[in-house]
Amino acid sequence: MSHEAFTQLVDAHYEALYRFALSLARNGADAGDLVQQTFFIWATKGDSLREADKAKSWLFTTLYREFLRGRRRAARATSIEDLPPGEQEIAAEEVDRVARLDAGTVMTALQSVDEVFRAPLTLFYLEDFSYVEIAATLDVPIGTVMSRLSRGKAQLRAALAQEERGAGAKIVAFAAAKGAKS
Amino acid sequence: MSNDEAKFLLNAYRPGGHDAGDPAMAPALAQARSDPALRAWFEREQAHGAAVAAKLRAIAPPAGLRDAILAGARASRLPVEPRSRRARWQHPVWLAAAAAIVILLSFGAWWGFAPVGGASLEEFAVNFVDHGFRLQKRGADVAALKTWLAERQGPLPEKLPLEFARLHALGCRTLKFQGRDVSLVCFERDGREFHVFVARREGLSGDAMESAPRFLDRGKLVAATWTDAKNRYVVVSDAEMDTLKRVL
Repeated sequence: MSHEAFTQLVDAHYEALYRFALSLARNGADAGDLVQQTFFIWATKGDSLREADKAKSWLFTTLYREFLRGRRRAARATSIEDLPPGEQEIAAEEVDRVARLDAGTVMTALQSVDEVFRAPLTLFYLEDFSYVEIAATLDVPIGTVMSRLSRGKAQLRAALAQEERGAGAKIVAFAAAKGAKS
Repeated sequence: MSNDEAKFLLNAYRPGGHDAGDPAMAPALAQARSDPALRAWFEREQAHGAAVAAKLRAIAPPAGLRDAILAGARASRLPVEPRSRRARWQHPVWLAAAAAIVILLSFGAWWGFAPVGGASLEEFAVNFVDHGFRLQKRGADVAALKTWLAERQGPLPEKLPLEFARLHALGCRTLKFQGRDVSLVCFERDGREFHVFVARREGLSGDAMESAPRFLDRGKLVAATWTDAKNRYVVVSDAEMDTLKRVL
């Protein structure tokens, strides 16, 4: 692969890869390392092993596997599968809640979702992958992806509500402190 | 289809209509159009998803990440064959790549001839992979690789586990262990490499029959070894042990 083609590949995918990595790793430094590691693997061998039109899936799959390789938490992932189904109802005010929160807070909420749900959920919100592609990228059955999306969304909504309560509490405390001084 | 079943499907329907043409979604979408309660749920769901997706898009990678990736790629374009020294990669990876340049330029000649030891074939094989090596014959055609090895009197596998047929061959080479010929065939799947060492059992010191694989965990590398009537086999991989076991 030429340098120009590699640059195009990086430009096409590094931002989405970083967002995916950030949701998994929960901190920017590790996320950056994961993205670099993924492109490093591609640069050293990927172009000779992969078809160009499969690059996106290959990059996300490789990043996810590099993350799992570092984490080795398969036992936890299995136990989480036993959780009851997620709450499917969504209140109208929850849409407004997301709009009120800043991007960093929404990412923090996403990072608090259990890992087994977080990976498909992040790929879903990145919008680059259909549920079929998410299943292929994470190497899980399609039905499992759908189930994890449902449960993951329920966890995310709860986390977003928690984040907003936390933000609200801070504002109240700050105002109360100011009031107490005056 | 009940509304709960429709919701289960529509949960996987991306905001923005990306999945509008998916025939598997069509019945659930049709039901959402005809059922007011389901339609209201779906509209809220889509709005919520769009809002989260927009927030996610607003997350920007750190400044410099793109340049670091591109600079690292330039640094990694070395004449290094697959499986050079990846087991020793450390973060940040591009720093490791730069270090590899210095090492290869400074000690390239020495590195090619540095001895690799091991009391048994499996220990030798792990050390050989960890040390790094060059393939002598590259290609994905396993039959061509076997022909190449046969022309050099390299031992050939009687048969490999069926799963190996699903791996992508990278190449092969010959080498010596305790003065005896060893064939090495390298495969890859999902970014992980599987290096198959084959040595004739005859003359291998202290070699005993092992029809079932015996597994070894050597930290960054895992290995498995077994025998048939003619050969001893060792597979060394940078994959997880569970992955190796699934291959065998």
